[in-house]
Amino acid sequence: MTLTRSARRRLVPVSLVLVGLALAACASPAGRTSEQAGPRGFTEAEQVAGSPITVWVDASRVTAVDAFTAANPDVKVQVETYDGSANGSDSFKTKISLLDRAGSGWPDVVFSTQNNDAAWASVGAGGQQPFAAVLNKGLVKDDLLSGFTKGSLDPCTVDGAVYCLRNDLAQDVLWYDRSLMDQFGYKLPTTWEEYTELGERVAREHPGYITGAAGDPFTPEIFFWPSKCGASGVVGPRAMTVNTTSPQCQRAAQLVDRGVQGGWMTDLSVFSPEFVQKYTGKVLMMPGPAWFAGAIFNNEASLNVPAGRIGAAAPLPWAGEEPATGNVGGGTWFVSSHSKNLDAATRFVDFVTTADDYQVAKAPGYPAYAPAADKWIAGQERSGYYATDLSALTVAAPQVWSGWGAPAFSQEAVWARTMQPLITSRQPLEQALGTWGQAIVDQAKVNGYTVQ
Amino acid sequence: MTTQTLERTRRRRSRGTDLSGWGGRGLGAVVLGVFLVFFAVPLLWLLIAVTKSGGDLVRSGAFTPGSVAGLVENWHDLFAFQSGAVGTWLVNSVMYSLGALVLTLLVSVPAGYVLALVRFPGRRLLLVVTLVVMLMPSTALVLPVFLEMSLLGLVGNPLSVILPFSFYPFGVYLAFIYFSTSIPADLLAAARLDGCSEMQVFLRVAVPLAAPVVALVGFFSFVQNWNNYFLPFVMLPASSTYPMQVGLTTLLSSTPAFNPSAAGSDSVQLSTLALATVISVLPVLVVFLFSQRFLVAGLTAGGTKE
Amino acid sequence: MGLAFVGPYVVLMLAFGIIPAVYAVALAFSRADGGFAGLDNFVRVITDFRFLPAVQHVAVYLVLWLVMLTVLVVVLALVLHAVTTRWVSRALRLLYYLPGALAGASAVLLWLFVLNPDAGPAGPLLKAMGFETFAQTIQPGNLSLVFAVIAFWTGAGQWVIVMYGALNNIPTEVMEAARIDGANPVQIALRIQLPLLRKWIAYMAVLALAAGTQLFVEPTLLSQASTGVVPNDYSVNQLAYQYAFNLSDFNGAAAIAVLLLVVSVALSAVFVLRGGLFDTEEP
Repeated sequence: MTLTRSARRRLVPVSLVLVGLALAACASPAGRTSEQAGPRGFTEAEQVAGSPITVWVDASRVTAVDAFTAANPDVKVQVETYDGSANGSDSFKTKISLLDRAGSGWPDVVFSTQNNDAAWASVGAGGQQPFAAVLNKGLVKDDLLSGFTKGSLDPCTVDGAVYCLRNDLAQDVLWYDRSLMDQFGYKLPTTWEEYTELGERVAREHPGYITGAAGDPFTPEIFFWPSKCGASGVVGPRAMTVNTTSPQCQRAAQLVDRGVQGGWMTDLSVFSPEFVQKYTGKVLMMPGPAWFAGAIFNNEASLNVPAGRIGAAAPLPWAGEEPATGNVGGGTWFVSSHSKNLDAATRFVDFVTTADDYQVAKAPGYPAYAPAADKWIAGQERSGYYATDLSALTVAAPQVWSGWGAPAFSQEAVWARTMQPLITSRQPLEQALGTWGQAIVDQAKVNGYTVQ
Repeated sequence: MTTQTLERTRRRRSRGTDLSGWGGRGLGAVVLGVFLVFFAVPLLWLLIAVTKSGGDLVRSGAFTPGSVAGLVENWHDLFAFQSGAVGTWLVNSVMYSLGALVLTLLVSVPAGYVLALVRFPGRRLLLVVTLVVMLMPSTALVLPVFLEMSLLGLVGNPLSVILPFSFYPFGVYLAFIYFSTSIPADLLAAARLDGCSEMQVFLRVAVPLAAPVVALVGFFSFVQNWNNYFLPFVMLPASSTYPMQVGLTTLLSSTPAFNPSAAGSDSVQLSTLALATVISVLPVLVVFLFSQRFLVAGLTAGGTKE
Repeated sequence: MGLAFVGPYVVLMLAFGIIPAVYAVALAFSRADGGFAGLDNFVRVITDFRFLPAVQHVAVYLVLWLVMLTVLVVVLALVLHAVTTRWVSRALRLLYYLPGALAGASAVLLWLFVLNPDAGPAGPLLKAMGFETFAQTIQPGNLSLVFAVIAFWTGAGQWVIVMYGALNNIPTEVMEAARIDGANPVQIALRIQLPLLRKWIAYMAVLALAAGTQLFVEPTLLSQASTGVVPNDYSVNQLAYQYAFNLSDFNGAAAIAVLLLVVSVALSAVFVLRGGLFDTEEP
């Protein structure tokens, strides 16, 4: 029997009748479909003007809430932090699933660090309507929606309905420490092959310095995605292609293997205290997403690199190919379809995704909202922190390889359980590519995908 | 029951084998010492950790004490977290554990009494079922109980944990053992001869004598419910209804060292997390300090009955 | 009178013991639309690629924990029993027992610190064993041991006290007689003390087994703290949770719950039949 994931799932407690409890009468109604939906694309709860809104964010996004409450003191916001569904914990999904059963207690706004949540949040479960409110049928104004960088709302869009707003783009670029590069007399690599050579030279000439990091669950999104490794091809609503043994995957695996074993790539998570202790002042280069800027380099609690040293270079190509890049997250904001104060909830997501007060002034990453992105770049450049201009980010934004999709499960979680332990114990990834592929296929099937 | 057991123990106390010679003695001392370190040092370290700042916790020696100011600051940070969420969680924990405690006592003491001293049809069946259910791990039933609560529309309601907590077959079993061993049937017969109704016998004779078993059942029920995680985790999905144990996960996920993406203004320092750990067990720790004999009496009650 | 007194208990037992168990069985044999599913749900969860690893994790953990518990608790009780200075013995028992106050999430949190080579009290020891980072200490291969150590740390103390009490109940004359016969302490332990402890050891082992199959909070927190290296379906219970709330497949979740119930009820049957510990006859 295959997994049925019907939204109309209901409980029919056959045996309870036997036990003598006629609980069946209380069984929850079947999931509502869009035919019953209200004018804005879903059935709205009775609105209570001025009621407080509950917002779920990860701890990093509390800044966004603070910025919103400063600008909108009339809206009462109750913050609840959670793990942001980070590293594929799926806690957003499982918590909403629990609340669907409870039939109450939903948050009004949720931030997720992942960008694959629309896949389930657009579908009702447990007899409830879909959690995510449709945003492009009256809730969020069209001119605001059209301001988002082209393609950035794709992970939020299902059948033409937009279910979330993108917080930031997380395109990968090559971050580097220009002062160190100059001091050591190195030239910036222009291909991944040159990058590898330079890394090995660094290990010989300046042991202890690193040119990359492979210790996080998003490692595949930094090295395998830009290499056009077909580990996560989403070809239909419930269909995937998975090929992890292609030459493109192998070369990426070899790159990481050589880096980790040669000691010029760290196997530590860039967020771990060990990483900060060991590599402050010793990061020469680091391929990674736009948000590395604010989260790692220009962050007192992390590497805290002084101003005037860090530069950004455009994504590297493999020799003879067009440059391509990957994408590490880029969070999303959801409005609950159950909200009693849709007005405030919508104002909230509008604000945190587009307003200068947050996206330009405070946000650590590259805003998905194009006008804010331009101002963010200008602001970052004006701050004098960077040694180069940040045009590399603008160049990289449209270069994200489209062959890597966002299925309903987390690729990061699969990587964390199958490949991460190999890196930590310094075993080669290359031989394990088949295992990784199998793990992705297994996970896909469990989630109702057919894999071609 | 407990005092009697203790007295008997003391009278029959046999000095164990003296380990022969210094070699045996030395070895024994090493074993005891190693395990003393194993059991006590993590606790000791935890008590020291709460007096330091997050940075000092990593930088200074593991057993270098911090300062009172450090403790105060951690305290302040902890209770300021999400505008006082920790206080709410503690209150919830107290409410759920005590609510369940009261119900458990009200249900299990009379049930144990009747099972022990009154013959009624179905008594034996009830005893056997009690024993089987007692060994059925409660977590395996969490999901079906959740579905049941969901049908009744109680998910998210404190009753959804208090009621399942109140079903405590072990408590009934302890009360059954107590009443069947400690109350002389003569006493009850005498009371009945004096014209007491069954209810009066229970209230005037049994209840006043039940103090030890009330303490025993109360202790086990409180400790178990205070520490329960899985049931409230699924029954009470909204933060405002979390008990402390579930709240700890929220704190953990806001600690950058354990959740990379948590670096932010509302993030939790390691030492603050340590303080949360201490506070989350403080009530149980206090109860534990004074209740060693309850615990032993309860555990042995299961095995001494032959 | 009898019924009025047991009534509330019977209601609670039905509501939270019997009905959920029956309900779980019913769900496990039903399709999502309510029809009869036969063994489909069981086949599905057992052939799920995550099921066997989860069973394996729990099984290895149980074996490690039980061996640790039986061997070390008995050794500790015997050695403690030989301590002649009364206050030392009493203080040691109390200190061994105190970690029992930390259960569930609190104990795991404390051990997250202990296992951290940089911040915790065991830093030098871990580094000497070759673990430089937290990620290395919680490598998947170490986890069963880690969970067993945590469980031992919280649970062993109370059993040491129980065993100690049982040793005290051995009549002095028996011990004296053995000593006069020239038995050395090891012989006394093996021939007299251990056989008398056997019932207690079995009791402890069965309770530990029943509790151990329920592993949930430990891997849940560790999964969180390890950025997913410890998967969120590490244990059988977690897998049931994922089935219910991630895949919205309550029938599959019920099938897992039933499997767990069968295992634990089988254990309890062994317990009741073999041990004579829960004799329901009159005193």
